[in-house]
Amino acid sequence: MKIDRRKFLAGFSACVGGGAVGSMLSPLPWKVMDDVAIWTQNWPWTPVPQDGRYSYVQSVCALCPGGCGISVRKVKSRAVKIEGLKDHPAGNGGLCPLGLSGLQYLYGPARVKSPLKRVGKRGEGKWQPISWDAAISEVSQKLNELRARNKPHSLAWISGENKGILAGLIDRFLKVYGSPNVLRDSTAHDAIDQAAYHTQGQRGTVFWDIENADFILSFGAGLMDGGWPLARMNGFPKSADGGKTLIQVEARLSDTAAKADLWVAANPGTEGVLALGIAHVMIRELIYNIDFINRQASGFEDGVMGGDQVLQGFKSMVLEKYKPEKVSGITGVPVDAIFDIARRFAKSDKAVAVCGRGHGRVAGCMDEALAVHYLNALKGNIHQPGGVFVVADPDYVRFPEPGMDKIAEYGLGQTRVDGAQSEKFPNSRYLLHRLPEIINTADGDSPVQALLVSGANPLYTIPDGKSVKKSFDKIPFIASFSPFMDETAVYSDVILPDHTYLECYRDIVSQGSMDGIVVSLAKPVVRPLYNTSHLGDVIIQIAKALGGYIETAFAWKSYESLLEETFADNWETITSSGYIRMNPQIPGTVATSFNTPSKKFEFNINAGAPEAPFSSAFEKIAMEGDAQNYPLTLIPYDSIRLAGNYPANPPFMTKIIDDTVLKKTHGCIEINPATAKQLRLSEGDAVKLSTPRGEADVQIHLYEGVMPGVIALPRGLGHTAYSEEWGLYGKGVNVNDLMGPIEDPVSGFNMAWGIRAKLTKI
Amino acid sequence: MKESATHETARRYGMVIDLDKCTGCGACMVSCYAENNVPFKKDESNKLDSINWIRVVKMTNQKPYPDTQICYLPMPCMQCDGVGKHGHSPCVSVCPAVATDYDFTTGIVSQIYTRCFGCRYCMAACPYHARKFNWWDPVWPADMEKYLSPNVSPRMRGVVEKCSFCFHRYQLARDKAYQEERAELEENEYQPACVEACPVKAMTFGDLNNPAHAVYELKNHKHAFRLLERLETNPKVYYISSKEWVRRNGDNYLPDEAPGRLKSKAKARH
Amino acid sequence: METPLIPPGVKRCPTWQFALWMAAVGAVLLWGVYAMILVWWKGLNQTNMNDAYGFALWIWADLAVIALGGGAFFTGFLTYIIGKDKLKGIINYAVIIGFICYSSALLILAIDIGQPLRGWFIFWHANVHSMLTEVAFCLSCYFGVLTIEFIPLILENPRLAAKPFLHHLSHNMHEIMAVFAATGVFLSFFHQGSLGGVAGVLFGRPFAYREGIFIWPWTFFLFTWSAAACGPCFTILVTWITEKITGKKLVQQDVIGLLAKIAGWMLITYIIAKSIDTLYWALVTAPGMGFTLMDFYTDHPIYNIGILFAEIVLCGFLPALILITRRGRENGFLLILSVLLAVLGCSINRWVMVLQVMAVPVFSFESWFLYSPSWQEVATTILPVAYGVILISLAHRYLPVFPQEKELNPAN
Ligand SMILES: Nc1nc2c(c(=O)[nH]1)N[C@H]1C(S)=C(S)[C@@H](COP(=O)(O)OP(=O)(O)OC[C@H]3O[C@@H](n4cnc5c(=O)[nH]c(N)nc54)[C@H](O)[C@@H]3O)O[C@H]1N2
Ligand SMILES: Nc1nc2c(c(=O)[nH]1)N[C@H]1C(S)=C(S)[C@@H](COP(=O)(O)OP(=O)(O)OC[C@H]3O[C@@H](n4cnc5c(=O)[nH]c(N)nc54)[C@H](O)[C@@H]3O)O[C@H]1N2
Ligand code: SF4
Ligand code: SF4
Ligand code: SF4
Ligand code: SF4
Ligand code: SF4
Ligand SMILES: [Mo]
Repeated sequence: MKIDRRKFLAGFSACVGGGAVGSMLSPLPWKVMDDVAIWTQNWPWTPVPQDGRYSYVQSVCALCPGGCGISVRKVKSRAVKIEGLKDHPAGNGGLCPLGLSGLQYLYGPARVKSPLKRVGKRGEGKWQPISWDAAISEVSQKLNELRARNKPHSLAWISGENKGILAGLIDRFLKVYGSPNVLRDSTAHDAIDQAAYHTQGQRGTVFWDIENADFILSFGAGLMDGGWPLARMNGFPKSADGGKTLIQVEARLSDTAAKADLWVAANPGTEGVLALGIAHVMIRELIYNIDFINRQASGFEDGVMGGDQVLQGFKSMVLEKYKPEKVSGITGVPVDAIFDIARRFAKSDKAVAVCGRGHGRVAGCMDEALAVHYLNALKGNIHQPGGVFVVADPDYVRFPEPGMDKIAEYGLGQTRVDGAQSEKFPNSRYLLHRLPEIINTADGDSPVQALLVSGANPLYTIPDGKSVKKSFDKIPFIASFSPFMDETAVYSDVILPDHTYLECYRDIVSQGSMDGIVVSLAKPVVRPLYNTSHLGDVIIQIAKALGGYIETAFAWKSYESLLEETFADNWETITSSGYIRMNPQIPGTVATSFNTPSKKFEFNINAGAPEAPFSSAFEKIAMEGDAQNYPLTLIPYDSIRLAGNYPANPPFMTKIIDDTVLKKTHGCIEINPATAKQLRLSEGDAVKLSTPRGEADVQIHLYEGVMPGVIALPRGLGHTAYSEEWGLYGKGVNVNDLMGPIEDPVSGFNMAWGIRAKLTKI
Repeated sequence: MKESATHETARRYGMVIDLDKCTGCGACMVSCYAENNVPFKKDESNKLDSINWIRVVKMTNQKPYPDTQICYLPMPCMQCDGVGKHGHSPCVSVCPAVATDYDFTTGIVSQIYTRCFGCRYCMAACPYHARKFNWWDPVWPADMEKYLSPNVSPRMRGVVEKCSFCFHRYQLARDKAYQEERAELEENEYQPACVEACPVKAMTFGDLNNPAHAVYELKNHKHAFRLLERLETNPKVYYISSKEWVRRNGDNYLPDEAPGRLKSKAKARH
Repeated sequence: METPLIPPGVKRCPTWQFALWMAAVGAVLLWGVYAMILVWWKGLNQTNMNDAYGFALWIWADLAVIALGGGAFFTGFLTYIIGKDKLKGIINYAVIIGFICYSSALLILAIDIGQPLRGWFIFWHANVHSMLTEVAFCLSCYFGVLTIEFIPLILENPRLAAKPFLHHLSHNMHEIMAVFAATGVFLSFFHQGSLGGVAGVLFGRPFAYREGIFIWPWTFFLFTWSAAACGPCFTILVTWITEKITGKKLVQQDVIGLLAKIAGWMLITYIIAKSIDTLYWALVTAPGMGFTLMDFYTDHPIYNIGILFAEIVLCGFLPALILITRRGRENGFLLILSVLLAVLGCSINRWVMVLQVMAVPVFSFESWFLYSPSWQEVATTILPVAYGVILISLAHRYLPVFPQEKELNPAN
C-alpha cells in the first residue's frame, strides 16, 4: 500500500487521537496532574527550613546604646529569631524593630567575609581577600612607619565604642602608640552632660529618671521615635489605664508629639528660649522650688562682684529678657500656653524637662541644654526620684598604667586634631565634625596620616558629605574594622572585619535606671560565620606586631581572657544572669555631690562673666543660609523605622518605612500643604532640594504635621554602600550631605538643627 | 467551612489593641516577618505588593497645622467570625478550594498555602486588606535562608498568605499541654509574636470567651470598637481609643451618625 | 475529484487574501500568546495587579465575554425550548460566538490564577459555598455543551461530511441537540448568576454587596438577565460586523429583527430591575453600612457618577426603548447603535462589578485604588479577540454557518 502524505497524516492523527483518548482512560494523566501539583508545592527554589533541636541563647542587643536583653531562638546551629528577654532590666521582653531584625545583619549580604585589601581605586569596590596575618601587617607596617617619621599623633581612630572594654582597649592603644586622637561622635548627651558639668561640677552622664517621673516636658527629644529604647518607656504613652503626662515641644508632629498630651509647635531652633519663658513664669509666679534655689543654688539672685559692679543673677536676667510676650514672639507659642505649661510643670509631683532633638544625633547648643537644665533646677528635681541625676561612668575597665616610649610621649603631647579638650573647648571630649574642615584647610600634608575606623560610619554620618569625602581623600591610609560593607569600609584601604554582636563576647553598657547602670554580656549566639576576628583580638595582634611598649601594654592572651579577668568576681553573675548593675543612685545626695566652687548649683550666666557658658543674648540657635535665596527651612527628622546611624537599616526595617517617606528610590520631603500651595507643588511632584551645602532630587509629600515654611527629611536614607540586595542602596537622600556643621561657641559642638533651603520643580 | 459536630466555639482567640498606647514603632510588623518567614524584596515601597501580615497604618485627623493628630492602627488579620459568628467570614466563604478555613476550636482563620491556587477571590472579599499575594518567588539573599524558622513553611509564588495569629505557637502550646495532660492553656502560654514584641504592650491577646483572660474585659471597654463593624464581618480584633475621630475612622458613618450612638445589628451581637 | 473544503454554493475570498488576513490576525494572536507564556513562566508579577486589585482587566474581560457569549444560551433557549424556529438562521453563529467566548473565558481563568497547575483543586477540593466553585463547574460543563453543539456544525464541512461516519454522527447529534440546548440553558442560567454572585456576596465590599434571597444576591439574577438581554445584542452586532467585512447579507433581517425585539424586551425589563436594585442599594443597603451613594463615586475620569448614568440610562434605557419599538428596530442605524450601546452597557456593568469594586475604598481613611494594566495584561486580554476572529473566519470560510447565506446571495 502506498502511503501518501494524506494517508500518513490521517493515520498519524488517528494514532494520536486514539492514544489521547486511551490515556485519558488510564490513571496516567491523573497521576501526572497530581504529581505536577505536588511539584508546585515543593519547588526546589522555595527553601524548606530544616527542623531540629530548639535552644535559646540569652544575650544582649548591641545595635544601639539601649542594650536590651535578647533571647535568640536557635534550631540546631542556626539562629532563627531574636526576641526580647523577659526580666532583663533593659527592655523587659520588648524590642525595637532594629533589634528584632538583628539576624538580617548576621546572615545578610552586606557582611565582609574575610580581611580585604583594596586593589582598585578607593571606593571602586575592587578587593582582594587576604589573610589575617597579611591584614595585620598592612596596618602595623603603616603605623610603624608613622612612628618612624615621629608622627604618631597623625594616627586617628574614629570609634563607635563608647564605654566598656573595647573602648578602653582603643584608648589604651592610642595612648601607648602616641596619639591623642581618639575621635567619637558627639550626641545631644555630650552637650547635656557638659551643661551638668558647668552647673554642678560633676562629670558623668546625665540621667533623666523617666521611670519615676510623672510629668515629662520634652524639648524635641524623640522619646517614641527611637531616640531612646522604646522598650524602656514604661508608663508611656498615656492610655486608658493611666500613664505619664508628656508635653512635646517640636516644630514637626513626630511620633512622640503624636503620643503627647500636648504638642507645642514652637518655631524650630527656639525651644531653649521657650524653656526660659517657662522659667520666667515660674519665677514670676513664685512656683519654682524656692527651698532648693535658696539653699542649694548660686547665681540666682543678683550679686556684687568687687567694687560696685553688680553681677546680674539668673532671676533678674530671665525676668528682664524672657518675658512671655517676647518669648511668644520668638517661639510662636501663644502666651497663655507658656503660662499653662509653666504652671503644669511646676505643679506636678515629679516633673522633669528633657531635650536632645530626635535621636539626639546632633550634640546641639549649650544655651539650649543649659536652659533646659535650669528648668530642672527651678523644679528642684536635681538628684531626686523622677528628676535628673549625674551618673558617674562605670569604672570596671581598669588597666594597669602602661609604660610609654619617647615617641609616644611626644605624640601624646601634641594637640588633638579636632581641637577638643583644647584651651578653646576644654570641656568637650570629641569634636569629630570639625575633622573634615581641619584636614581640608591644612597646609601641606593632612594632619591625619592614618585613620582607623571601628563601630562607626563617618563617611555617612558626618555632616557635609562632600567635604568629608574630600578630607578622606587626603588621608593616605584608612583601615576599617567594620563587619559590614558600609560607606566608610568601601572607602578604606584595608578591611579587618569584626564579628557581629551575635558571634562573640562583648560587654555592653546601657543606662539602666536609678538602680544603676546595666552592664550586659553579649554572648556568641552562633559560631562566627565567616573569616572575621574580634576587634579586641585584632588590637592585641596589632600591638604585638608593633612590639616594644605597645606589645607589653597588650600582654593579654585574648579578648576573652581579658573579659573574664576584667569582671573577675562578677564573671559568674554576668555569665549566668547576663548582666550586672553598677553605680546605683542615691536620691537627695545633692549637697555632697555638687562639685562647683560654691558647692552649689550654679546658674552660670554670662551677664557679667564673659567665660560663663550661658549667653543671655540667646534668642534662637543660628542657622546657615540666607532667607533671600533659601526661603524655606530644612530640618532633618529621626524615625524609629530608620536606623539613622551605624549600622544602616536592615531589609525588615526598610520594609516598614511608609511610602510617604520612601517611594521606589525617591526620598520624600515633608511640606505643609499651605506652603506647597504657595510654591504650586502637589503630592508626588519631583523637586530639586537645594541648600547652601548641596542639592538632591526629592519627591513632595504633603503633611499637615510639619510647620508651614519648614520642610523635613528623614535621617537614615541615601546610603551608597552595603549591598544592592540589602534594599537600601541608592534610595533617598542622606540629609547629612545637605547640611554643614555649625559650631557652638562654648563647646565647639555641632549645633546645626536645620539649614535654609529651597525647592524647585523639576 | 466544615462545621464542628457540636457547633460550639470552644475558644475564640482575639486581640485588643490600645491605640492610645501604640507608638507606630513597627516592631510588631518586624517580629511577624521574623516569626513567619515573611520574605522581602529590594523595593518594598509599593505597599500594595508588599507582604505584611500585620500593617501599621498611619491615620491623621486631616486638621491643619498645628491641630493635626496622628494615630497608628496596627492591622493583622481580623480573624472574622462572619455574619452570625458561624465562621462565615468574608474570605472563607468565598474560597473555592477550601484553602482558607475557619477553625471552630480557636476561631482562627487558616490559610493553606499548598492548597491555594491563587484565584485571589479571598483578597477581593477581605475589606481589611489582610490578605497578601505572592506575586514573586521569595528570595533570601546571601546566607539569609539560614534564619528561616521551620515552624512556618515559606510560601511559593502564586499563593495567598495572611496572619494566622501565629497558629504554630498555639499548636506548640497545645501539644505541650497535651503532654502534660492538661486540657486548658494558660493565657501566657499562647501569645503571638507581634503581641509579645510590642515594646509598649499596646496589644493584649487571649480567649475572648474566657473570663479569666484580660481580653474578656478589655473588649467591653467603653472606648472599644472594631473595624468596619457595620459590615457584620465580626472581627476578633478590638481597638481602644479615647479619640472620637479615631473611632469614627474605624467604620463608615453617615453625616448624622456617630460611633457609639449607633445600634447596629453587629454591635448588638458582640 | 476532491470534495471541496468550502461549502458549495457560497463564494469565499481568494486563498491569498484569506491567508493575508489570517497572518495579520495571527500576529496579534502570537503577541497575546507571548504575553500569556510570560505570565505563566514568570508569574502574575507580569501584571499590574496588586493586593488591593486582585481582580483586574482580564477578569472584567472574562465576565464580559461570558455575558456577551450569553447569546448562545439565550438564542438556544428561544430556538429549541420556546420553539422560535425562525432563529435557526442565526443559532449556529450564536453557538460559535458562545463557544469562542467560553473557551476564551476558560483560557483567561487559566492565565489568571497564580498556580495554574493546581487549577483543578477547584473541582477536587470544591467549597460548595463559594460562588467561584459554582462558576467553575457550570462554566466547564457549559463549555462542554457548547463544544457538543459546535461539533455537528464542524462535521458539516463538505469534506468531513463526505465521510459517512461523520455524516451520521453529525445528523444524530442534530437530532438530540434540543437536549443539549436545554442542559446548556440550565447551566448557563446558573453560571451567569454565579458570576453575578461572585461580586454580590462580598459583604465586605459595600459597593458590590447586594441583599437577595437564600444564598443568592440580586446580582445573581441580574447577571443572568443582562446576559440574556445583551448576549443576543452581541450576536447581532457580530453578525452585522461579519456582514460588513464579507460584504454580504448573511442573516435575514426578520431573524435579526425578532432577536432584537426579544433582546429589547429583556433589556427593558432588566434595566428596570437593575434600577430598582440600584435604588434599594443606594437608599437602604449601603446606608446601613454607613455609605452614601456618592461615597462610591469620585472626581475620576472613569469612576464619577457618570458611569452609573452611562450604564443605566445611556446604555440601558436608551437602547432598550429603541429595540422595543418597531421603528427603532427597523432603522438599520438605530438598530446597530442600540445593540452596540447594550453591549457597552453590559460591559460597563461587568467593569463596575469587577474593577470599581476593587477601586472603591472601604475605609474612610483610604484613598481610591487605581490601577492601569500592564502590556502583558492588555495582550492577553486581546488574545481571545484575535482567537475569536480567527475562529470566526475559519468557521465562516469552511462551515455552513449561515443557512440563509445561499438564498440571500443568489448571484453566485
Ligand atoms: N565617646 C563616645 N561618645 C559617643 C558615642 C560613642 O560611640 N563614643 N556614640 C554616640 C552615640 S551614637 C550614642 S547613641 C551616644 C550614647 O550615649 P547616650 O546617648 O548618652 O546613651 P545612653 O548612655 O544610653 O544614655 C542616654 C541618656 O538618656 C537618658 N536615658 C536613657 N535611657 C533612659 C531611661 O531608661 N530612663 C531614663 N530616665 N533616662 C534614660 C539618660 O539621661 C542617659 O544619659 O553616645 C554618643 N557619644
Ligand atoms: N530603635 C532605636 N534606634 C536607635 C536608638 C534607639 O534608642 N532605638 N538610638 C539611636 C541613637 S541615640 C543613636 S546615637 C544611634 C546609635 O546607633 P549606633 O551608631 O549604631 O550606636 P553605636 O554607639 O555605634 O553603638 C553600636 C555599638 O555596637 C557595636 N556593634 C554592634 N554590632 C557590631 C558589630 O557587628 N561589630 C562591631 N564591631 N561592633 C558592633 C559597635 O561597636 C558600637 O559600639 O542609634 C539610634 N537608633
Ligand atoms: S533599642 Fe537598641 S538595644 Fe534595644 S533592641 Fe533596639 S537597637 Fe537593640
Ligand atoms: S480580616 Fe480578611 S482575611 Fe482575615 S478573616 Fe477577615 S476577611 Fe478573612
Ligand atoms: S486565592 Fe487561594 S485562598 Fe484565596 S480564594 Fe483563591 S484558592 Fe482560596
Ligand atoms: S498574630 Fe502572628 S501572624 Fe498574626 S500578625 Fe501577629 S505575629 Fe503575625
Ligand atoms: S509594636 Fe506595639 S507600639 Fe509598635 S507599632 Fe506595633 S502595636 Fe504599635
Ligand atoms: Mo545617640
